Amino acid sequence: MTTGRSAIEAVDVRFRYGQAPLLEGLSLSVPTGETTALLGRNGVGKSTLLKLLMGLLKPRHGTLRVLGLDPLRDARDLQALVGYVPDRPDAWPWMRVPELFRFFAVHHPRWNAERARAWTERLGVPLDRSFRQLSRGEGMKTMLAAALAPDPEVLLLDEPFGGLDPVAREEMLRALVGALGERRRTVLVSTHELDLAARLGDRVAILEAGVIRTEGPLSEVIGAGESGAAEALRVRLGSEAGEVT
Amino acid sequence: MRLRVDPTRPSSPSVQIVEGILDAIARGALGAGEQLPTVRGLAEQVVVNPNTVAKAYRDLEALGVVEGRHGSGVFVAVAGVEIARRERRGAVKADLQRAVEAAQATGFTREEITTEVERVLAATGRTRSAPKQGGRS
Repeated sequence: MTTGRSAIEAVDVRFRYGQAPLLEGLSLSVPTGETTALLGRNGVGKSTLLKLLMGLLKPRHGTLRVLGLDPLRDARDLQALVGYVPDRPDAWPWMRVPELFRFFAVHHPRWNAERARAWTERLGVPLDRSFRQLSRGEGMKTMLAAALAPDPEVLLLDEPFGGLDPVAREEMLRALVGALGERRRTVLVSTHELDLAARLGDRVAILEAGVIRTEGPLSEVIGAGESGAAEALRVRLGSEAGEVT
Repeated sequence: MRLRVDPTRPSSPSVQIVEGILDAIARGALGAGEQLPTVRGLAEQVVVNPNTVAKAYRDLEALGVVEGRHGSGVFVAVAGVEIARRERRGAVKADLQRAVEAAQATGFTREEITTEVERVLAATGRTRSAPKQGGRS
């Protein structure tokens, strides 16, 4: 239910790497308690937007708010309330999962060791190998377990299913559905997997040429065509990118 | 209750859940007064966002098919069976109409369409009688 309040908000955000503009006045709101699937071609700026919301990058212009906090000014508070899954496992290669979690236990104010244990068990994360020896799927599952351990109100997920084998993909998806059933959470998830976008998204946002071109409830974005929901999203994505479909 | 959500189907996951539950009630798999799965339980079963299941339950409640009882769950309403049958009959009639229109557009004659329907009826191997009550819509 939309309350008019948005847990995640970006207004007129501009960002460039060097001379190349990437985000050119992007605005997006994710209503509290809802999940928005962020779609767009490779390199269009989806990861950048998530990093800006986490305070890992600084915008040239515009306003970003997560739970009312400024990602740069309130970085510490915000990072304690937001679960972030980066697009690749982010840990020292020599570390094993229990060591990474001991590090978080010291540095994360809301770390919950019992939840970390329960989620690694549910996701089948191996505890006895270093990150160097983990598959991409195992690494991403570890990142998700770490993100869920503090029971965050907000999840920012950067391509969590990318490059996973079908079994790992299904396990990640089921874990996310389980996490959404635990409590009300606001989620922004970037993905190329359109069937998963249709399963997870209350809303869909399409990023193209530096701005959000299309945003709305899933049922409105896919329309009432004859093709499947996932196919309708693919067509929509292609037409936003100026392709003839 | 076996229910599936398939993103390759045209309707949204929420609509698929509504239709699946209407179908289960119309077939008698779920009777008046019976409890629906919890939002969380059904979300995990069909692998969709729990918000989507909650929306489907709200839509079913607006149709008068189910009722939420405070704190104890969602149940099939007394009038729900009748409404579900009517909804499903309406949907099936619309499907039949689309099929007949497609046949006409492809050049089927009235006789060919009737023959084809008779053939399908014969092939299903059983002539089902109408439900005991509430067959008319």
